Amino acid sequence: MLRIYGGKVFDPANGINGQVKDICIQDGRIVDTTQAATEIDARGLIVFPGGVDVHTHVAGGAINFARAMTPEDHRRTQAFIRSQTRRSGLGGMAPTTFATGYLYAGMGFTTVNEAAVPVLSARHTHEELNDVPIVDKSCLVLMANNEIVMNLMEAGDYERAKHVVAWYLNAAKGYGIKAVNPGGVAAWKWGKDSKELSSPIAGFNSLTPGMIVQQLARIVDDLGLPHPLHLHCNNLGAPGNIATTLDTMKHLEGNRVHMAHSQYHAYGGDGWDTMRSEAAQFAEYFNAHPSMTTDTGAVLFGDTVTITADGPWQHLLYKLTGRKWGNLDVENETGCGIVPYTYKPSNLVNAVQWAVGLELLLLINDPWRVFLTTDHPNGACFWRYPEIIQLLMCADFRNACMAKLPAKIKSRIYLPEITREYSLYEIAIIMSAGPARALGHRQKGNLAVGKDADLVIYREDHDISRMFAQPRYVIKAGEIVIDDGDIRSTPEGREFMVQPEFDPTTEDFLRPLFEDCYTMSFENYPVELDRIENPTIQDCSRVQ
Amino acid sequence: MYWGGNPAECHPRHFTKYALMPKSKFLPNGRKDRTVVLVDIRETKSVKAADLFLQVRPGKDFELLTILRALLKGHDVGDREIAQTGLDRAVLEDLLSRMKASKFGAIFFGMGLSMTRGKHMNSAALLTLAAELNSFTKFVAMPMRGHGNVTGADVIMRWQTGYPFGISFNRGYPRYNPGEFSTVDVLVRGDTDCAFIIGADPGATMPRPAIEHLARIPTIVLDPHVTHTSRIAKVHITTAPAGIAAPGTAYRMDEIPLPLSPAIDSPYPTDEQVIKQIRAHLEQKPNWLPDSQQTLASQV
Repeated sequence: MLRIYGGKVFDPANGINGQVKDICIQDGRIVDTTQAATEIDARGLIVFPGGVDVHTHVAGGAINFARAMTPEDHRRTQAFIRSQTRRSGLGGMAPTTFATGYLYAGMGFTTVNEAAVPVLSARHTHEELNDVPIVDKSCLVLMANNEIVMNLMEAGDYERAKHVVAWYLNAAKGYGIKAVNPGGVAAWKWGKDSKELSSPIAGFNSLTPGMIVQQLARIVDDLGLPHPLHLHCNNLGAPGNIATTLDTMKHLEGNRVHMAHSQYHAYGGDGWDTMRSEAAQFAEYFNAHPSMTTDTGAVLFGDTVTITADGPWQHLLYKLTGRKWGNLDVENETGCGIVPYTYKPSNLVNAVQWAVGLELLLLINDPWRVFLTTDHPNGACFWRYPEIIQLLMCADFRNACMAKLPAKIKSRIYLPEITREYSLYEIAIIMSAGPARALGHRQKGNLAVGKDADLVIYREDHDISRMFAQPRYVIKAGEIVIDDGDIRSTPEGREFMVQPEFDPTTEDFLRPLFEDCYTMSFENYPVELDRIENPTIQDCSRVQ
Repeated sequence: MYWGGNPAECHPRHFTKYALMPKSKFLPNGRKDRTVVLVDIRETKSVKAADLFLQVRPGKDFELLTILRALLKGHDVGDREIAQTGLDRAVLEDLLSRMKASKFGAIFFGMGLSMTRGKHMNSAALLTLAAELNSFTKFVAMPMRGHGNVTGADVIMRWQTGYPFGISFNRGYPRYNPGEFSTVDVLVRGDTDCAFIIGADPGATMPRPAIEHLARIPTIVLDPHVTHTSRIAKVHITTAPAGIAAPGTAYRMDEIPLPLSPAIDSPYPTDEQVIKQIRAHLEQKPNWLPDSQQTLASQV
């Protein structure tokens, strides 16, 4: 029982833009009035719904491989010393699980979506998510390079493919479907990639990436999943890839789709020497197609580690940088690559990437469709989000940063011409209300009566980055978890999942294929529900 | 390709279940569609399974790997350098041309490589060779781990602390330094005044000073069996064997977790039950940890 009074509330889901309003909380939910045992004097403070991260990599085989590969970073990073309320851990490029929960909550984020989980190792991902405290969680299942699904698509058996995808989603205890470089990761098993939407994939006769994305988008809608197809396009990171990205969006016209980390997919030029921003082209198409959402995957300068299911791209990055490279193939399902990386302002390619991430956030008109991410840890670590907010809200600061880049950059980017500045209301949309809506979380990113009492209270500050990095209070499910930088309590979060229906004969179809394709027995494959802490099952309702 | 391992005796299911025999969409004839190479210092029982056996001179793995990497890049390598590995040029060139011509290569390396002269340098050289082969064809490399759920311990330590082993919590947060914080080093230095050992038998493998230290201090062992370590321990709690009489999870060598379903009941408690009980009793003691006072300093 908690009452927060006198705060300026930014609650875009209900059109509340800085009005002074009391918020009452009881049993983890927002209520009309309450006999408050605790009161927070929020006069002069700013109240936001808790942040929602639509796309991050915080748990599972890939990030855990990245942790193993970067001990040199752990040593220099922020250490969390154990206390009565807190486990020990390390921050940095690939934070440990407990630290991940503390860092997200410490920044006012209360819900995170792990964006890439192979079904085969989903058990591992859930075990890690159980060790991420405070925040609520969900995860997306990798499906665009699964050989069983691809064979069905090639054979034109859409119905069966749909049921198999539904079965996989149930088995993984996932929340939605992720497609990474459709067909390209399967081709990587042949040492190849798949860069064009209408060319057949290595190892298949007629199946193309275009067929995969179209069918997966349709499957997601037919199953009524709360979150649309979450798509990492083909040809990530390559100069000139805007053509592939536009082609992909055209293939998906009329479908719901979430375009992940679009910063990596909006480049022009025909080589590293001529690479330029095509954020304007992306934004123009995107603005005209309201069934799409995107997150930016923005880049900030500094050290990080890149991890993606896009195996062939990571091999290229290893060859470009000569740094460490980890590769994980996941049987017939997907793959993964890990390469530490440093984004340098003096590097023209990196400078273009930095600009593209901001340009997309500034050129896309509707803040309800573009969300704040860095594709953690690929573009930068999630705990650097406040720096991006500052770049969005202060044009002067942005211009000062731009002045430090090589002069040649000016002709390759749109940023110098953009004067737009985000308001606090718009920030509340791109970091909370928007991603909550895109994920189909009706209880999140919303401060109306009956919604989850996840919220964050900031001090108004001319230093925007400091304001968002060090909230005054963070409240999760009605409990004060962060009090002026102190971790007060570390409750367990919930995990969201969906259980779409599938034809009961699907298991009979899959069982013999398991004998052929998998090294794990069919019975051992699905993740047991009792391994998951506080599972919360979301409805699948047919999408209109 | 197996290097410094003897799967026929140490990983008896590896040939049949994973690496050599399985038939698949692109390898319909199973073993016949594969080429198997074994590199080792002696003829083990695994030689019978191989198409090609390269007997490297003991302690010359690093040199052989480096020569292969040089030849792969088209550098000149002298006959004398090749001869010291115990092999000749024709064999190495044949091997490399087969590797480059393969559709998908996999190298599995064992403790014959990673724990002999050169140690982690050998592993690094082999991993680099595998990475560089990807300029020609798809190649991967993976270690063949020891017995027990060693991979599982690795995986969990990594997500909780960032490091796989050799971790010290002395300062209240994890620090890593193999050679300083590894179990054997801590014991040899006599830096610990209590030992709690689960699912391992250091008494059978560690050097004498380490074992003598274990015998000196209160050593507590959780193990289903009587072991070298349990004999010198002050306390041995017999537990149910995992996977046979105790449920749980084991991580396979490729870090895929498998659920364990016990086949029989045991009169003994599981490791997990024992640890939970110890923990519950410890929690009765006054908490010596500080209140949370450290603030979340912004990251640099």
